[in-house]
Amino acid sequence: MQAYLTQLGHIAPELVLTLVALVVLVMDLVWKGRDSKRIGYITLGGLAVTAWVLWNQWRTLGDTNGALAETAFGMVTVDRFGTFFKLFTVGSLAVVTGFVLADRRERKHGIGEYYFLLLGAAIGIFFMVSTNNLLLLMLGLELLSLASYSLAGFHKGDKRSAEAALKYVIFGGLSAGVMLYGISLLYGMTGTLDLNAMGRGGTQGYPVGLAAQFLISPVPVALAIVLVLAGFAYKVSVVPFHFWTPDVYEGAPTPVTTFLAVASKAAGFAVLLRFVGSLFLVDGVHEAVAAYGEKVGLLLAVLAAVTMTLGNLSALRQTSLKRMLAYSSIAHAGYVLMGLAAMTPEGFTASIFYLAAYYFMNLGAFGFLLYFEGVTGSEQVDSLKGMGWRHPVVAWSMVIFLVSLTGLPPTVGFYGKLLLFYEGIDAGLGWLVVVAALNSVVSLFYYFRVAKVMFLTEPEDAVRTTQPALAGFLAILGALTVVTGVVNERLRTWSDDGQASLGIPQDAARR
Amino acid sequence: MQDQILTWITFIPMLGMLAIVLAPKNNTALIKGITFVATGLPFLLATWMYFSLFDKASAELQFVQNVMWIESINATYFVGVDGLSLCLVWLTTLLLLVAVPASFGINKAQKSYYALLLLLEVGILGVFVSQDYFLFYVFWEIMLLPMYFLIGIWGGPRREYAAIKFFLYTLAGSVLMLIAVVALRLDSGTFSLPELTRLAGEGNLLGKNLPFGGDLLGMRFTTWVFWFLFVGFAIKIPVFPFHTWLPDAHVQAPTPISVILAGILLKLGGYGLMRACFTLVPDAFNEFAYVLGVLGVISIIYGAFVALGQTDFKRMVAYSSVSHMGYVLLGMAALTEWGMSGAALQMFNHGTSSAVLFLIVGVIYDRAHHRDLNGFGGLSQVMPVYWGLTTIGFFAALGLPGMAGFVSEAMTLLGAYQSDIEGFKLLVVLSVIGIVITAAFLLWAMQRVFLGKLNEKYANYGDMNLREVACQAPFLFLCIALGIFPFYLLNWMEPSIKKLVQTLGG
Repeated sequence: MQAYLTQLGHIAPELVLTLVALVVLVMDLVWKGRDSKRIGYITLGGLAVTAWVLWNQWRTLGDTNGALAETAFGMVTVDRFGTFFKLFTVGSLAVVTGFVLADRRERKHGIGEYYFLLLGAAIGIFFMVSTNNLLLLMLGLELLSLASYSLAGFHKGDKRSAEAALKYVIFGGLSAGVMLYGISLLYGMTGTLDLNAMGRGGTQGYPVGLAAQFLISPVPVALAIVLVLAGFAYKVSVVPFHFWTPDVYEGAPTPVTTFLAVASKAAGFAVLLRFVGSLFLVDGVHEAVAAYGEKVGLLLAVLAAVTMTLGNLSALRQTSLKRMLAYSSIAHAGYVLMGLAAMTPEGFTASIFYLAAYYFMNLGAFGFLLYFEGVTGSEQVDSLKGMGWRHPVVAWSMVIFLVSLTGLPPTVGFYGKLLLFYEGIDAGLGWLVVVAALNSVVSLFYYFRVAKVMFLTEPEDAVRTTQPALAGFLAILGALTVVTGVVNERLRTWSDDGQASLGIPQDAARR
Repeated sequence: MQDQILTWITFIPMLGMLAIVLAPKNNTALIKGITFVATGLPFLLATWMYFSLFDKASAELQFVQNVMWIESINATYFVGVDGLSLCLVWLTTLLLLVAVPASFGINKAQKSYYALLLLLEVGILGVFVSQDYFLFYVFWEIMLLPMYFLIGIWGGPRREYAAIKFFLYTLAGSVLMLIAVVALRLDSGTFSLPELTRLAGEGNLLGKNLPFGGDLLGMRFTTWVFWFLFVGFAIKIPVFPFHTWLPDAHVQAPTPISVILAGILLKLGGYGLMRACFTLVPDAFNEFAYVLGVLGVISIIYGAFVALGQTDFKRMVAYSSVSHMGYVLLGMAALTEWGMSGAALQMFNHGTSSAVLFLIVGVIYDRAHHRDLNGFGGLSQVMPVYWGLTTIGFFAALGLPGMAGFVSEAMTLLGAYQSDIEGFKLLVVLSVIGIVITAAFLLWAMQRVFLGKLNEKYANYGDMNLREVACQAPFLFLCIALGIFPFYLLNWMEPSIKKLVQTLGG
């Protein structure tokens, strides 16, 4: 009984979040038809409690080198890596909830299930980022996906929203099937669903592992791994699995788009990092598998180059800000992938840091989008004409986000990019770094088209509505983007702590 | 206070910027007042440093502050100046101070204008005082944003195009620079410029610690770094063929911004080459010195010829900058003490003379609202003071003996002629063409604008007012004074230039 309770304690954050989701669902039924704002506040409160639990867990994990030796019920691995991404998710979900509350175009009644679905998606993320078990990972991923499908189509009357949901379901279903097939192949070959056991198989008392299979015949292993990677690539919208992204991002309600672009994408990267790390890089991995990992690294590097280039070039032509941000998020997936492709622990740290940087700047950019949808009722870049003079606080904050997205100092986006370049060159991927650097020049062009329209043209009409709360929030986020650009040691240490708990041997001789 | 004087000089404008952000939008007098204080104080501090605090006999860095900033990548807040950077710091503070009254004609969104102007000053000063490459890069990039908006919002009819072109060109250069910086850091473990210079001098900065171990695609690591850095700085100078952003940016920018752009932003390129490129890869520099010399001479001749063909007054002045900055590259590439000193002096003198030229264009543009050289005529009759000052400015720019430009150009050419590198004597001979053409286009422009029959349209024009004269006065004074007493500058620069040339093996 005692052990059982301890194990329940390990998944306390998940339990709290589930409880919050249930409360939200019940209260929505109780308060049916009335103002749903209160449900939003309950969600925010619940997220605060979850964050507190997670923060305590993060600190406790410091005593055990970042990871607990035992898993909860043999499934949930409790480590700082997972906790980092859970905190990330809670943080972005809180902002998304705020966005829902601030969304002018959202109706205010009977949308309790909106919050419930968001929380459900977060529970999915919680499980998928903290497991080494492919089955639980798949379940978490599916929970996230199912909630996301319904969220994308939340505006039932809106044609584009419905189209987005349908596209999302079809693409999602296909990629889930492909991934599941890959997982079943892996299971069939190794007899285990545990990533650590697969990677270390053949050594340390694991009877069968990837290495054994690999030595027999590399082809099925390669097939299985590529299939699984395809599933992750879909989730983080890496080329060539990105086709759904612009349409879904554009059609979904803006807060949902924000959620998909920030929380869902980061979760996708979290599992990708864990998958690649546990299979190819962990301590005790078989030589043959490690050598194969370098090939996977090269594959990821090529994907990164293609993804960022295609994302940026497509973004150049967009006239809708929302669609432009969708392509920009594809391009950023390419940048994050650089750190993975380096196949070093420091590269992983750089990727995690970049995701954290992405949190600030992308939430800011989507908040800006939301603000101006409320003002102009349009997503077109051209509708922002002269807005810089009408709404200086929001517009200048947006300039900061754009600067950060481009990767210019003194913002957090610059430092993230610097770390990625640094690890890229250190891993011998100089060509990829050059491609990425030139890509940021390309991205400047479309990011600053927004600044140009806002400041370099004259306002056309006299729209004067404002949302002081949202404007204030964006200003704070803008300030944080700059402050973390200058004072970023803490954030980097956290990213590194998260990475360290993956069990990848650290290079002590690094300068 | 004296220990942190560089920090104060750099960040006082930023405090001013924050104050302006908080100031009410309509109180323009207050905003201008804050800007005056925030640009004036750094100028006073810099002047104090220049004449009293700075030990000009020493080649070492002075007023050094070195604080750890980002430990995990070993980036430091490391500032300090030697004679070379101090001269440019002083010029920057002067130019920015003068830019304030020169901006009084601007009536649109003044709050944003002055805030951005101050942010620009932070970036420029930061680059000149940084001794850490990471810090250097951060300041280098901070400049771009205010410049984009200053050209884009307050510029001429094609300002949007000019602003983004400037931004894209410069960013393309600086991302290459960033890659080189990161590679240098990975090889050496430090961002500190003096430390990198020392390592390079000892031959320990050859990329041996990088995964590819020194050679990449058949080219040496140092060669790669050299070209990446060179392109980054050459775009800023700008050297032919990277100059095409300059005429657009200059022509579209409002007068005070053109003044800053020509007066100081272009110098950043030359300064960067001296401080943060050549010394880090001396062998590659020696190898390609002749190529740089050729590029310099092409810039001199090409810039002058294109200027000759312009009918737009401002465009002509812009191309004259390309030509004048060519001397800087030629002088540096010669790898002699005279050449290097001449290049440094030429940077300073071009800072003052081009500032005057752009102010001159601004005066006539404010009245006529066009800049067509053929559209004027006989203005000397109605604007005698303007004519007089323009004559001094033009003579300074074309390098008349007794004026500052003559000293620096002569030194550059002499230095290049002394060079041991084969073929430099030919380059010097060729660059004389540039001098002749420069005289031609300036004198021809003067003839078309001021002499001949008075264009009746402009018969009622008032002469320059006191504000306009006051803006030009300090630069004209420097143009004349440094022509007679160049040692007021050279003595400060000499020790650090000597050290620089020694480091490069000249």
